[in-house]
Amino acid sequence: MHNSPTNSTDETPSLLRVHGLSKRYVRGALWRRVTVAAVNCVSFEIPRGQTLALVGESGSGKSTVARCVTRLERPDTGQILIDGTDISSIDSRALAPFRARIQMVFQDAGTAMNPRFTALEVIEEPLLIQSKSRTGNNRPLSHDAARDLMQEVGLTPDWMHRSIRHFSGGQRQRLALARALTLRPQLLVLDETLSGLDLSTQAQIANLLLDLQARHGLTYLLISHDLALVSRLADTIGVMSSGQLVEIGSTRQITSNPTHAATKKLLASVQTAASNLSTVMMMGTA
Amino acid sequence: MANFVQIRDLKVTYAPETGAPVRALEGVSLEIARGEIVGILGESGCGKSTLASALLRLLPPHATCEAGTISIDGRDLMQLSERDLRAIRGKEVSMIPQDPALSLNPVMTAGSQISEVLRAHLPLTAKQRRERVMELLREVGFDSPEEIYAAYPHQLSGGQRQRIAIAQAISCVPALLIADEPTSKLDASLQTEIVALLSRIRQQHGTAILVISHDPSLFAGFADRIAVMYAGRIVEVGSTAAIFRKSLHPYTQALVSIAASTLVSATDTKAPLPAIAGESPDPTCVPLGCRFEPRCAERMEACSIRYPAEFIPEPARLVSCFKYGE
Repeated sequence: MHNSPTNSTDETPSLLRVHGLSKRYVRGALWRRVTVAAVNCVSFEIPRGQTLALVGESGSGKSTVARCVTRLERPDTGQILIDGTDISSIDSRALAPFRARIQMVFQDAGTAMNPRFTALEVIEEPLLIQSKSRTGNNRPLSHDAARDLMQEVGLTPDWMHRSIRHFSGGQRQRLALARALTLRPQLLVLDETLSGLDLSTQAQIANLLLDLQARHGLTYLLISHDLALVSRLADTIGVMSSGQLVEIGSTRQITSNPTHAATKKLLASVQTAASNLSTVMMMGTA
Repeated sequence: MANFVQIRDLKVTYAPETGAPVRALEGVSLEIARGEIVGILGESGCGKSTLASALLRLLPPHATCEAGTISIDGRDLMQLSERDLRAIRGKEVSMIPQDPALSLNPVMTAGSQISEVLRAHLPLTAKQRRERVMELLREVGFDSPEEIYAAYPHQLSGGQRQRIAIAQAISCVPALLIADEPTSKLDASLQTEIVALLSRIRQQHGTAILVISHDPSLFAGFADRIAVMYAGRIVEVGSTAAIFRKSLHPYTQALVSIAASTLVSATDTKAPLPAIAGESPDPTCVPLGCRFEPRCAERMEACSIRYPAEFIPEPARLVSCFKYGE
């Protein structure tokens, strides 16, 4: 056993615990290397079935946290505990079973899929990769299972054999969610999944996320720059600024009683927009 | 008495090499007065960006303007030669792009890119141009314009790049500025700054601004009037206050309630948001009647048979829906 401070409470209900996570990038030309601390000693945990949102301006390091949690990046220091097992530095063979338990959905779903694939091929891709890495042979997804997954995310199963070129932005985002659900994961890391969508599509996908969480007890790590939208989806909100987690608290606490300047700044812009909107909606009735 | 900008019954069709032609604009009419900020509210594929391109006569080659007129300051844009159009673009009518990261030249400094616009349109000496660029950089909110002048786009943040694009667009003090989703790629705090900057530009120079967005909250406290577009048609027009306070079309009502729910009631309950079911119609086979009918909660028998006529319930107000009118 490692003698880490977080390992003593094994009966914790938290599915994900991140402790002291740091990640540095080296940038600049060969002869003028600059080390940038993208994430600096970030710690948080997410109880099973709950949603933690990491918010912050672009460049605050929130996406790097997401990429470390899904082990697309290997963190420099710190622990990432899934049900008590540290996955921060294990090799890819040991990581394989965890890859099925943690799935990531990106911002622009269209670019994260092979454009020549049909909906069915997109959905079954993770299963093929998983079964191949475990048993060495392909186990295709049954049509019934694909049908269920498509229905679950609100797509017509009749479109199973249709090329994804014919899918709209919102439909591709639904398909991305179906693909993420193929392996029946416990944790979904949603990196700006709702940005870049039209308002009504955004609302549809947000509702779908709430619905899927209620149905399957999924745990979400939500990465977003949109504090207003996130406050409708998250139990806990963490605010990131310059690579550090500067404030973390319940959604109510963060939106009603922020303490850090970065949180106040994010909230101020939401409130400006809100007061503009309520002013214009009240005009004439007051 | 003609308005400053007058778009009448504009019909634009895209004819791709493969596949069926798509009617992007189906008889759009819109007027913009001098110094007025008009918001176009609509979602992807509704034709709002086609409208913006048409206003600059910059439609791609496979698009044809089948009918309609566009006049700016009394001149019929459809009759102008390419040479005349070049003199207008960037000088009298200019555009702020959605993503300045894509529109700025990566190997030119910010200052020289602004200077380039001035050189194309105004008879200024190199020294005068440089002074004017510094003035513009200060106007769009840079405290140390010298540094920014010499910076390359990759050395600037997203918000700074958007300011450079705005400085470029206003360099010749245009009478009409078209802003296509000017803040959709920016953080929330930058959005309010850019909106404030555009409002200030209007106030100082009397510039008319056509702002395009899918998010009604962008227009609150900013636009004077809003035109709501759905699937190639304008379904409702009204003052910003009227659109927010008493929207008439079911589509507008739904959009406003979604915007209000994510902003005003920032509650801590994980409750579903109001949403519109379904998707925009396939542009190659739009419904015969009202285009919003398949998604509308208040659909009636007439809705699927013919398109509702425009109804003017009060001055400066317009709606196309069978709920209103005779």
